Amino acid sequence: MLLNVGSIKVPLITKDLKVKGRKFKIIIGFFLTAIIGLIVSLYYYNKPHVNVEKSTAVYSLTAQNLIKEYRSNEKNTNEKYTERVIQIEGDVYEISTLRGNTVVTLKDSVSESSIICHMQAEDTKKVLSLKKGARVTIKGVCTGYLLDVIMVRCILVE
Amino acid sequence: MNNMRGFYFIVFGILLMHNISAQDKYLTKEGFVSFFSHSIVEDIKADNNQVLSIVDTKTGKIAIQLLMRSFMFEKALMREHFNENYVESYKFPKATFSGEIRNFEELDETNTISEIVGILTVHGKEKEISSKVTVIIDENGITLSGDFKVEVADFDIKIPAIVTNNIAKTIKVSFELHHEPYN
Repeated sequence: MLLNVGSIKVPLITKDLKVKGRKFKIIIGFFLTAIIGLIVSLYYYNKPHVNVEKSTAVYSLTAQNLIKEYRSNEKNTNEKYTERVIQIEGDVYEISTLRGNTVVTLKDSVSESSIICHMQAEDTKKVLSLKKGARVTIKGVCTGYLLDVIMVRCILVE
Repeated sequence: MNNMRGFYFIVFGILLMHNISAQDKYLTKEGFVSFFSHSIVEDIKADNNQVLSIVDTKTGKIAIQLLMRSFMFEKALMREHFNENYVESYKFPKATFSGEIRNFEELDETNTISEIVGILTVHGKEKEISSKVTVIIDENGITLSGDFKVEVADFDIKIPAIVTNNIAKTIKVSFELHHEPYN
């Protein structure tokens, strides 16, 4: 009797365990996918802003040439430079503060236009020590052209 | 596009005339415009500190222009979605407003509230709007501030169904423009 029960029950238990094991694996797999998905989407959601300091400039040119390009063909120039990290060399025309951040204006000697560079907060001290007329190189993200070329997230390169 | 022509007409008209009557023109290149979207999922706010605005004190006419890519968001992803998917900044890099401040000549230290009416162009779509405006005229210049609401749907901006709960149907736009004498 005992033996009989044993011989029936043993295979039943192993089959049961196998099913349980598979279910367990499916559940674990589901949770892993969910967790990975959550991490990826959180990472994506909190994707940092472009790091200008660590990015290499896609284009490097003088203030005068940038303004000249914009004034000759705004549309094409816009497509070329906007959203790109670019590096501009020019003369400081004006330094101002605006709502806690500093703004450096590089003026073209030929035309009325200028390049308005909104600087990052980390560079405030360096910017305020700049002299009007000094030759500087500024790296930042170009956002387009109104009456002037506008750059944001700028840092002083030299 | 008719409005764009009107805008440029005003801007260049104002700029060209500045030799004759410079004291009538007031300008800022550092105006502030922000928008705010409130929803159950999240609040989204973006600031633009590079707004160009010109006021003609003789007529009360005003022309405003800003770059969509100059809007700064808390999260890089919001800015990316805004520019690439919603307002399509590569196609429509600018937003413009051209209109007038009502009863401009009657405004002074005590009477500072007026209405600003005109055409707002965003995402290539024009819409007539009006907004209450506080006008402060002093020795430093002319400061305009106020806020108004716009409907996302009025500008043909398509929000994908998956994020429809993240973005409000009505967006609040605030502005503060400190104009200085143009010379």
